[in-house]
Amino acid sequence: MMDSMTQKAGIIAAAAFGVVLVSTAGYSPVSAQGMPEGFKKGELAAEPSAEMIEAGKRVYFTKCVWCHGVDGAGDGPGADRLWPRPRNFNQGTFKIRHTASGELPLFDAKKPIPGQNDLFETVTHGLPGSAMPPWEGILSEEQRLQVLSFVTTQLVKDRKFTDKQSESQTVLQLADLKPKPATDESRKRGGELIVEKKCVECHGMEGRGDGNAFNLKDDWGFSIQPANWHKCWNFRGSRQDPYNVSNIFRTFSTGVNGTPMPSFADNTTVDERWDIANFVNSLCERDSLGNPLPIDPLTDKPKINFVIPSDMVEGEIPTDLEHEAWKKAPKRYVAMGGQITHKPRNFVNRLDDIWVRSLYNDKHIVYLLEWDDRTKSVAEGKLPWAPTQVNIDIKEQDPKTGEEGSIAAQQNNYAVYNDAIAIETAVKWKELPAPIKPRYLFGTNEQFPMDIVKWEADGSLRAFKGTGWDKDFEERDNYEEAMKLLKAEWKNGRWYVMIQRPVGNKKDQDYDEDTFFEVGQYIPTVFFAWDGHNGDAGRKMAVSAFYYTFMNPPVPQETYIYPVVIAVGVVLLEGWVLTRRANKKKGKTL
Amino acid sequence: MKALMSLGALIGVAGLLLLGGMIFDVVPSNTVRLVEGYMPIQLLLEVACYVIGFTGLSYMMSAMGMALPRFWQGIGFWIFLMVYLKYRVYPPIPFSVRAMYGTVGLVTVFMWVSANEEDWKKFKQPIMNVLDAQTGMNRLLRYAYLVLIPILIGGFSFNAMMPKSEEPIELRTVHPAPPASTKVHGKTYTLQTSQNPYRVNPEGKYDQEFSNANIVEQGMGRLMKPNANPWDEKNQGYLKYVREGGEIFFQNCHFCHGDNLNGRGLHAFAFNPIPANFTDPGTIAQLQETFIFWRVSKGGIGLPNEGFPWASVMPPWEQHLTVDEIWKVVLFEYWHTGYYPRTWD
Repeated sequence: MMDSMTQKAGIIAAAAFGVVLVSTAGYSPVSAQGMPEGFKKGELAAEPSAEMIEAGKRVYFTKCVWCHGVDGAGDGPGADRLWPRPRNFNQGTFKIRHTASGELPLFDAKKPIPGQNDLFETVTHGLPGSAMPPWEGILSEEQRLQVLSFVTTQLVKDRKFTDKQSESQTVLQLADLKPKPATDESRKRGGELIVEKKCVECHGMEGRGDGNAFNLKDDWGFSIQPANWHKCWNFRGSRQDPYNVSNIFRTFSTGVNGTPMPSFADNTTVDERWDIANFVNSLCERDSLGNPLPIDPLTDKPKINFVIPSDMVEGEIPTDLEHEAWKKAPKRYVAMGGQITHKPRNFVNRLDDIWVRSLYNDKHIVYLLEWDDRTKSVAEGKLPWAPTQVNIDIKEQDPKTGEEGSIAAQQNNYAVYNDAIAIETAVKWKELPAPIKPRYLFGTNEQFPMDIVKWEADGSLRAFKGTGWDKDFEERDNYEEAMKLLKAEWKNGRWYVMIQRPVGNKKDQDYDEDTFFEVGQYIPTVFFAWDGHNGDAGRKMAVSAFYYTFMNPPVPQETYIYPVVIAVGVVLLEGWVLTRRANKKKGKTL
Repeated sequence: MKALMSLGALIGVAGLLLLGGMIFDVVPSNTVRLVEGYMPIQLLLEVACYVIGFTGLSYMMSAMGMALPRFWQGIGFWIFLMVYLKYRVYPPIPFSVRAMYGTVGLVTVFMWVSANEEDWKKFKQPIMNVLDAQTGMNRLLRYAYLVLIPILIGGFSFNAMMPKSEEPIELRTVHPAPPASTKVHGKTYTLQTSQNPYRVNPEGKYDQEFSNANIVEQGMGRLMKPNANPWDEKNQGYLKYVREGGEIFFQNCHFCHGDNLNGRGLHAFAFNPIPANFTDPGTIAQLQETFIFWRVSKGGIGLPNEGFPWASVMPPWEQHLTVDEIWKVVLFEYWHTGYYPRTWD
């Protein structure tokens, strides 16, 4: 905090110095004049009209108060169960800006122009990766400006947006700075710079946010975590345009106020900043051809394909990630939400996606699961209840922020349990009566149970049976012997786990308890994941929706024969039509 | 007239270029962004623009003496329709539905080109010309078709026969019929006669008119009425309970149903189908308050058989909330969306 305060003072002083120079000698981008490269002095906007503020109050108390609270202190009823927490407006500390570190963001109630109105853009596009949704399409442009007028004048209490004495605006001229082409050379230099500028200390060696994840606090003393560069759709400042390198450039140039993320404007040139932005942008997940993933405009996350294809391999299934077969196997994005239906509920879900690939041979099917987890967790604490239990009797509602046992107090202070992952598949999925699907998460009933295979970071691979929505899992006696853990490795903030299980047959396995995988069929599959440092254990976990495992069948011979037959048929048909036409013209009939 | 038509033509050309560019990734595919909430009207407007554009284009081309034959107009329009449905409309429409639209589109095109005998003749003339092949060009075309058509049809059938793994489509009943009564926390509620005990005026009497007068205003933003702020400390009755319901909603429900009750919460992206959108006039606006009470209490697992498949992880909230809390949440949902619950009469 001390740091950001001195930095702020420094910039204000520098800016004041800059004003003097600018007024006498005109503008020049040299940093010796106190202005970091790429920045320009800006004017404070005029105070919004009283009508705007009054109208904004109405918007605020309909939409915003529920999380941001009556006084804008970020303590509304929703706040206790949210992480990241809702913004506390009182101090005037805002994360995503075009202004220099420590300054107020750009806001002008009369100018809703992208790039010139930070707060307006935040409300319009939301803050991905947090609970703040995009309000475009819900509130009109006018209403968004109104509510911001109210927030900036009434709820920001420690600073004043119009006070020329204490506030200044040093604005990043992002529109005038042309992005540098993302060449290999630029990315390479960026990769060197992030080590030199110590980015990796917090963001981790591979940029998965696993560097210094446990000692970081924001200005209010709440634990926060560094961004994972591989999930650009969760960048708060991504403005619903996650693969746009300018957003990274902006965040890097201006810093994130209220957090340990500083501005690098003073110690990097614009050129260096583009190199770094290009490098960070190149880390974001892409498809096999290197193109950005398609983003679903309804959720602002990668589009989901609910079919997980499994390719056939001859002989043993390779365990090496670099093997040709794994490189060719399609990789699926599986979205994960917090399990908030049964106690213990997981409101603060740290694992929001996993990547799944699969291969099979005549005897086995293998799932390769990869997911980002900032910490490797192997159980230290003893769970006070059995991990198979559901709806255990624990009190959830009471602890408020600041009290012991609250979510805020627990962050990074949980007893550590095992990181874990589980694959749940339906048993006897073929026999389910026509419309009935094994539609609840943990099995339909005794007759149609679920087959659950769970790996934990202590190295165990176990099998469970789920027999109903609110039934405890039953541990199975001997299925473990049929399964095999091919790989389990945590490296630089990412788990790589490979689980092999039999495809199932009536001779060796139990038809009533095991899932039988059949080629060319859609087998309902669900994934569960646990982050041990988040206190995840038992049903406190992340869950996916129902996906389908689909074992790609080898191409049948008919596929090659029938089209040829059809084509020959068409040729004959053509001959017939043409002869008829010719005969008709000659006056002949057949 | 000419000026107007040339403007139309301009719109048409620009529209087609933009669409093509977005499909082939020449320009970013979000150049004209679809905004949630406006999406259907946006698409309708776009189609209207294209119709204007095509009218202008066809007029201008005939004015310049390069009139496009009816034959190509028909085919072109149909192809445009299919491309638009496949690449522009979002969320994507399944193939079966596109096939239906395609058929209807084809029939329409046929009706248009065969509106009278002369048009029909004009339409089939190019086909006849190729068949008869009296000029060199047509002869060439005929042989090209002779070769191309079998190859194309063979290719299509090969494609169709290749094993594929497309997501199976599942249909579900949106509003299954409710039971006559439901038992929550040991007490039986008859759905026909039960009332929300918190829909009351400041005197504590059940008062639908009073509550209806204090819900948010319909229209953009759905804002509260200026003098009906649930956060006003002085509130008694309805608005006080709305606020209490909101507090429960924002501690339990918004994770899926969203800050604006539109089914776009923090965890919504992980679920399929995504959670119910209460601002849609097809959900709570069509239902009685007791129906919501039943669904909230019993959750996805409580759906009757006809509600299968149970593609719902909605928990039975009676396990987490008291009866009073459930009623208050229901009250809040109607307040925040500005809908009146349906009544039994």
